[in-house]
Amino acid sequence: MTFRQFAYRNVVRNSRIYGAFFMASFFSVAVFFIYSMLMFHPDIERGILGEVSLIGMVGAEVVLVLFTLFFLYYSMSAFLEARSHEFAILLHLGMERRQMNKLVFLETMIIGSASIIVGIIFGFSFSKFFFMIVREILHLDKLPLYVSWQPFLLTIGVFTSAFVVISFISVYFTRERKLRDLIKESAYLNSDSTYSKIRAVYGIALILSTYVLAFVVSNTSLIGLTLLIPFSAAFGTYYFFSDTVPCFLDKARGKREYHWQRYRLLSLAEQTHIMKDNVKMFFVVTMVSTMAFLSVGVLATMSSYTTQYDRLNPLGLVYKGDVDNPYERNHINSLRIQLEEKGLSYHLSRFVVVKQTSSFTNNEVEVFRESDMNVLLSSFSYPLLDLSSGQAVFIPYSEESLKKLKNKVVHTVLEENAIPLTIDSVYPKIVFPGSIVSVNSIVISDEDFARLIKPIADQDVLQPTYHLFTFYIPQWIESKDIGQDIDELTASQFIEKKGKFSPYYFENAGLNYSYILATYSLFTLVGVLVASVFLLAAGSFVYFKLHASLEREKRKFDVLKRMGLTDTELKKLVNRHLFPQFFLPWGVAMMHSAFAFIMVQGILKDIANISIVKEVFFAFGFFVLIQVIYFYLIRWRYISHIRS
Amino acid sequence: MPILQIKDVTKVYEGKVTHRALNQLSFDVEEGEFLAVMGPSGSGKTTLLNIISTIDEPTSGEIIVDGMNPHMLNATELAYFRRRQLGFVFQDFNLLHMLTVEENIVLPLTLDQQPLEVIEERLASIVEKLDLNSFLHKRPNEISGGQAQRTAIGRALIHNPSLILADEPTGNLDSNSSRDVLELLTKVNQDKQTTIVMVTHDPIAASYCDRVLFIKDGEFFNEIYKDDRRQMFFQRILNVLSLLGGGQVGDLSTIRLP
Repeated sequence: MTFRQFAYRNVVRNSRIYGAFFMASFFSVAVFFIYSMLMFHPDIERGILGEVSLIGMVGAEVVLVLFTLFFLYYSMSAFLEARSHEFAILLHLGMERRQMNKLVFLETMIIGSASIIVGIIFGFSFSKFFFMIVREILHLDKLPLYVSWQPFLLTIGVFTSAFVVISFISVYFTRERKLRDLIKESAYLNSDSTYSKIRAVYGIALILSTYVLAFVVSNTSLIGLTLLIPFSAAFGTYYFFSDTVPCFLDKARGKREYHWQRYRLLSLAEQTHIMKDNVKMFFVVTMVSTMAFLSVGVLATMSSYTTQYDRLNPLGLVYKGDVDNPYERNHINSLRIQLEEKGLSYHLSRFVVVKQTSSFTNNEVEVFRESDMNVLLSSFSYPLLDLSSGQAVFIPYSEESLKKLKNKVVHTVLEENAIPLTIDSVYPKIVFPGSIVSVNSIVISDEDFARLIKPIADQDVLQPTYHLFTFYIPQWIESKDIGQDIDELTASQFIEKKGKFSPYYFENAGLNYSYILATYSLFTLVGVLVASVFLLAAGSFVYFKLHASLEREKRKFDVLKRMGLTDTELKKLVNRHLFPQFFLPWGVAMMHSAFAFIMVQGILKDIANISIVKEVFFAFGFFVLIQVIYFYLIRWRYISHIRS
Repeated sequence: MPILQIKDVTKVYEGKVTHRALNQLSFDVEEGEFLAVMGPSGSGKTTLLNIISTIDEPTSGEIIVDGMNPHMLNATELAYFRRRQLGFVFQDFNLLHMLTVEENIVLPLTLDQQPLEVIEERLASIVEKLDLNSFLHKRPNEISGGQAQRTAIGRALIHNPSLILADEPTGNLDSNSSRDVLELLTKVNQDKQTTIVMVTHDPIAASYCDRVLFIKDGEFFNEIYKDDRRQMFFQRILNVLSLLGGGQVGDLSTIRLP
C-alpha cells in the first residue's frame, strides 16, 4: 500500500464522514458552474441582461467563492478535530508531521477533485433547465444551451485553487497539541462559561437599539443612519451569543427549583457548553441566514412591485410641458408617428392644469378640468365624472391616499379667483402615476374652470399652468422603445444646462418597467444563488459541528441509557439538544430580517407605495418549513448514530 | 432469599466468528452480599455484568432480580427498572463533564422526576456519608480520580437501588484511592445492606468482599468465602488465581534448580 493508496482508502472508507462535506462542496461547485455558464453565454455578451446584471453576477460569484472558502475551511477543521484520535495513532506509529500534512492535502484533493467533477457534470446537465427558467424570468425569446471551454476552466481553476488553499490553511491552523492529549481523545472539556455581565447587557442593548434605529430610520428617512445598522446588529448579535445567552443560562442554573427538574439539569448544562463552544458558528450562521432571508425578502418585494406596477401606472406614456414649451408640437407628433409605425393602438388625452392656492391649507393645488378628465376616463372605461359648479373631487396619487381621502370633506376657496369649492369625494381609481400628479390635485367643473383667469399669486411656483398629454396604450409593455429621441434630448439638455429646469418632462411606463424588470431579474438570479448556497451552508455548519462531537455524545448517551433513560426520554433529550442549535441562530436571523423589512417597508411606503407584508410573510413561512424539515432530517440521522 | 439469581445463562455472540462468552453459568447473590467476580481477560466478566444490567440479553437461561425477570419487560419498563433498581460504578467513572459533582449525583433523581425537597434531602445524606463536601461544586475534570469515583458511587447510591453493579471500580485509581473506594463500598454494604456485585481483576479489591466468584471461559470455576482475616482471604484468592492462570501453573515445581 503506497502512501497515496492509504489516503485514497481513508477517504473512501470514511465515506459517511466525508459524505456531508462532499455534498456541500459539490453543491457549491454545481451552483458556481451554472452561473458561470450564464455569465459566459454568448447572448449575454450581446447585452440582453444589461451591464448591471453582468457586474452583479460577477459580484455574486465572488461572494460565493469567498463564502465557499470560509465554509470549506470551517468544515475541514471540524473534520480534522473529529479525526484527531486517528491522527494521534498515526503520529504515535511514527508518522512525520510533514507526512500528515501531505496526507490531509491528498485527501482534500481527492474529495475536491471528485466534487469538482461531479459538480460540473451535475451543473452542466442542469444548465439547460436553468436557462429555461432564466428565459422565463427575463421574457427572452430564446436562451440556447452552448458549449464553451470558459465556464469549465473558470470553475476548475477557482475550486482547485480553493481546495489547495484550504487544505494548507486548515492543516496550518490546526491546534498543535501534545500527542498524549490527542490519544486520550478529548476527555478534557472545559465548559465553565466565561461571560461578562456588561457585555451581556451590551448584547441586548445593541440589538434593541438597532431595532429602534430601524424604526426611526423608516419614519424619518434618516438614510445616513442606515450605515450604522449592520455594524450595531453584528456586534449586538455577537455579544448576544457570547455573553447574553450564557448569562441567562447561568441565571437559570442558579435556580434549583427550576433547574433540577427532569431534563433541565442535563439540557441546560449542555446548552451552556454548546454556547461556549459555538459562539463563532452561531454568529456566522445568524449573519448568513439574515443575508439569505433579506435577499429572498427583497426578491419577494420586487416581484410584488412588478405585479403591482401595472395598476399603479395605468398610463403608457406621459408628457408634461410648460405652456410655452417650444418642443411640444414636435414631440407629441413624433410620439404619435412612432406609435403608429409600431402598430400600437393608443388613446391621447390632453390636459391643461392650473395651479391655485387653496384657502384651506394655504398650499398650492393643481386643478384639472372635468371634461379633460372625462376624455381620459372614457378611454380607460372608468366611470365618468359629473360635477356641478362649486363641487370638486380629489385625484388619488396612491393606494393609500385613496383610503385617506375617501371620507374627507373639505370646504375651500381657490384664493386667486375666489371660487368656493366643496371637495367631498375622491375618484375611486388611480388614474395618474404618482410621479405626475401632486399630492393636492382636484378636478372641478368646466364652468368653474373657465373662471380661473388669474394665475397663482406665489411668483416662485414653477409652471403655474402646464399641459399634460397622456397616452393610454393597452399593450404598454411593448412601448418601451417609443420616445427614445425625447429621452436623449432630455439627457443632452440636462448636461448642457447643468440641471436647469427643463420645459418638459417625459415618462415611459414601458421603459421604466423594463428597467425594473432588469433589476428584478438581477436580484432573482443573484438572490436565489446566494440564498440557496447560504441556507445549505448554514444547515451544514450545524451538521458538521454535531458530527465532530458525535463520539462524545454517543458515550454520554450510553451512560444515560445504563442509568435508565427510556427511548422517548432519549428523543426528548436529543430534541432539546438539537433544537437550540438549529433554531436559535435562525430565530435571531428571522428577528433581524423582520425588523429589516419593517425598515424597508417604511422606506418603500414613501417611494413606491407598496405593501410587502404578505410576500415577506410567505417567504418566512417557506423558510420555517425548510428549517423544520432540515431539523427532522438531521435529528433522524443523529438519533440513528447515537443508537448504533 | 437471593436478590439476584443467575440461572443457566448462556451468551453466544453471533457474527463472522461465533463466540461463546458465557456458558450455562448459574449462581445466586443474597441480599446484602458483597460479591466479587474474578476471572482472566476474556472470561466473560463484562458480558455477565452487561446481562445483569439488562444492557445485553442472554441467549438462553434467565436472570431474576428481586423476584422478577427484567428481560421480560418492554424497553420503557426496562429503563424504569434500571433507573430505580440498579446503580452503576464504572472503571472510567463516566461522569458527565458539563455537570458539576453535585449535579452528577442528583441526575438519576431528576430523571425520575423527584420533588426538589427529596432530592436535596438525599443529596445531603449522601454528601455526608461519602464526605464529598470539599469538592461538591467542582467539575469532574477538576477533581482527582478517587474523588471522581466517590462521586460516581454517590450517583449510584442516591436513588437507593437494590443492586449496585461495579465494573473494575479501582481500575484507574492509585493504591490509596483504591483503598478509600473499597472501604467506602464495604461501609455502604454494611450500613445500608446494599447488595454489590463487583467485577475486578485486582485480588486486593476482591479481598474486601464477602465472597469471590471465579469464572473462566464463561463457565463457573470456583468460589470462596471470606474468613476472619483479610490477609488470609487475600492469600486464598491468589491461590485460586494461580490455579485459574492455566494448566501450566500447577505443574511448576516449587523449587527450581539452577
